Amino acid sequence: MPKQQDWTRRGVLRLAWVGVIAASALTIEPLVKYLTSKEDRLQSPLVAYNKPLDVNSDWQNTANARVWVKRDSLGVMALIATCTHLGCEVHYHPEKKQWLCPCHGSIYDIEGRPVSGPAPKAMPRVAVERKPDGSLMINTAKQVGMDTRV
Amino acid sequence: MKEQKNFVNHIRPGVVPSRALSVLYTFCLGGLSFLAFVVLGITGLLLMFHYQPGDSNGYDSILTIASVIPYGGVIRNLHYWAGQLMVVTLNLHMLRVVWTRSYKPPKQLNWLVGVALLILILFLDFTGYLLIGSQESGAAATVAVNILGLIPGMGTGLAQILFGEPSALSGSTLVVYVWHCVALPMVALLLQLYHFWRIRRDGGVRPL
Repeated sequence: MPKQQDWTRRGVLRLAWVGVIAASALTIEPLVKYLTSKEDRLQSPLVAYNKPLDVNSDWQNTANARVWVKRDSLGVMALIATCTHLGCEVHYHPEKKQWLCPCHGSIYDIEGRPVSGPAPKAMPRVAVERKPDGSLMINTAKQVGMDTRV
Repeated sequence: MKEQKNFVNHIRPGVVPSRALSVLYTFCLGGLSFLAFVVLGITGLLLMFHYQPGDSNGYDSILTIASVIPYGGVIRNLHYWAGQLMVVTLNLHMLRVVWTRSYKPPKQLNWLVGVALLILILFLDFTGYLLIGSQESGAAATVAVNILGLIPGMGTGLAQILFGEPSALSGSTLVVYVWHCVALPMVALLLQLYHFWRIRRDGGVRPL
């Protein structure tokens, strides 16, 4: 086994340097993501929605991942998909007509009322305003009741 | 080995006596502490990009960093645990120095520098604890301000310099932030470089 003698201390340390540099390279992408994140900037509470919204449509996501709109025979409503338990982003599952929270398994019905899991109350509804051109402006800072429609 | 007075030669000497490399003598506790300090410096710098000091902002921005910013939780936890680790390794380092009687001449000055460094790092940990801005931080700040207030005459003024508002409720004031991120680390780094240089200046590690 003459190969074994090729491994000098210097060779091993050199290989370790390659490992260190490779590991450092792996941190570049997370670092860029961390440094360029703007998610802690102050954001306007207003979210616009300008796609057509049919009567009795299912929940539609807006430009803001947590703001959803829906239209029934009475009008348009907007919901904030934040779990009322610990604030995780709740995902809508159209095939089940349910909202599921990935963090602790809370389940909400299609109206956002808690069905099971630790969630204590329904997800908040917020005010919607209909602009002259027909698009919607959702004010996430203003909560409204479950029955409010625009 | 010829004694050299050049600073660089002490930090990176051409020759190191093999006795200085005895791991079981020092257990590398000082080196581990310095490694933790470097990790703290890097992660601390990264945290500064997203942390917002201030009575009402501190706690919220910690929560945002830990749960919303990509990889913020990793960086925050690295900073937190490196801070905890450094206090542990520093105390073990001090115990080792006592055990091997390395505080004796000619190293008596370096022992004092080390004690100063230990106190500095404890202040760094304390100010970091205040910057979290939680209710516990507020309680800690209140206790510290009250203790300072017991010093006759200058207590209130001292609290003003160290904590900004003597009645700081959350502890996460701009003054504490500057102490934690700039003033204390700078002094600690300079003292550490002197500490390391001093080891070799005093003849290096000498197992009994």
